[in-house]
Amino acid sequence: MFVLSIIKDTIAILPANFGVPPAQALISEINKKYANRVLHDVGLCICTFDLVEAGEGKVRYGDGCLWYKVRFRMVVFRPFASEVILAKVKSSDEDGIRLSVGFFDDIYVPLAYLPQPSAFDPNERAHFWLPDSEATTAHELLESATADRMYIDQGEVVRVRIEADEFYDDEPGPPKASEGIAVKREARRAPYSMICSIAEQGLGPVPWWKSAQPDGDAMEAE
Amino acid sequence: MEVVNARSALLSNVEVLNLLRELDAEHIARTKTAIRVKKEEEAAGKNSHDTHTEEISENLRTVELEAIQYLSADYQPSLHQSDASITQLVGGLQSFGLSKAEKLQIVNLAPTEPVELYVIVEELEDRLGNQMEDLLAAVSKSLNERAPEHPNGTVVVPEVKQTRDEDAVEVYEEADQETWGYDANAMEFDDTGEGAGVEGDLDVDDD
Repeated sequence: MFVLSIIKDTIAILPANFGVPPAQALISEINKKYANRVLHDVGLCICTFDLVEAGEGKVRYGDGCLWYKVRFRMVVFRPFASEVILAKVKSSDEDGIRLSVGFFDDIYVPLAYLPQPSAFDPNERAHFWLPDSEATTAHELLESATADRMYIDQGEVVRVRIEADEFYDDEPGPPKASEGIAVKREARRAPYSMICSIAEQGLGPVPWWKSAQPDGDAMEAE
Repeated sequence: MEVVNARSALLSNVEVLNLLRELDAEHIARTKTAIRVKKEEEAAGKNSHDTHTEEISENLRTVELEAIQYLSADYQPSLHQSDASITQLVGGLQSFGLSKAEKLQIVNLAPTEPVELYVIVEELEDRLGNQMEDLLAAVSKSLNERAPEHPNGTVVVPEVKQTRDEDAVEVYEEADQETWGYDANAMEFDDTGEGAGVEGDLDVDDD
């Protein structure tokens, strides 16, 4: 789920940091600029892996910074399509399930990718799967005995397959490193989101498949 | 900014976890030194005008800690894995004819039940047949090799700094040990380099 990306950039080192060894200062500046940010069509940057090469620091007219041309490798969170990962259920609603891996939580399981037949129980605020059931409509499913239902509860660890990922670039432009972290948050599309599936044997809450008789065991756990 | 190669290599979860833990330990050590230096200066009655208090990016700390939390959670196999056990596991996986992506997922998820393996390996029965048990045995053997690491984040990662480059690729280069050398000189990451074929093989589309 993690990859190494090679990125080229020009990084400025403030005079205050001239005392620090250049490599260390550069890595810290790169981390400041990239860590925990989504790069379009690349993924979510975690941290700098290492520097590949760095040019000589140059002083430009207008500021006292040393500008370095650097090539570095970044650890990036970007699960590939069809990769299977573990995630936690963050919340559920009528449209599907939202998952989280702690540092990233724009992971969604739409209704179409839930195991069939399944339905959303508004009382429990959770989706459930009714294995070996003839029922097809949500109405019929909701009339089933609660004991037969296999709920996907909040906080449960699920195994999911990544089906697709999407990038949206709604930002006005990349923030400058010197401005630090932007604090204001508006309602907007997530820059990077993933669509996952649990509609397959072996996918879904981990306890479902823990033993040789997954169904019976999971029932007891309910 | 220019993205030279968005996906130059794949990393396993344990590698990322080790890297982050190392970063975390470094950060804690640095903070401690900074505090100590400050105290000493204050004790000496110096007017401490900060020469360079290296500000640590809040973003980095956040993502670092959250990722460590996720990667070392009790439902992750990384708790029972180490560099050595993974190298050994990957060596053991050689004979099964799996793709790189499949091997990576086996390392990351450490499937111990057939049903978990079905999810990872396509057309499992046709391709592996009776070997499935051997594969699962290899995985569980690699897990039991070592007692769970203590989860407080202060794991000693010996010589990670020096071996980091090798770490990044070791999972994928198991078969051809002789191509291993190219990475040691640390400059040839682009696909034009000597190891072009090897890095190219990391392409996830490859089956």
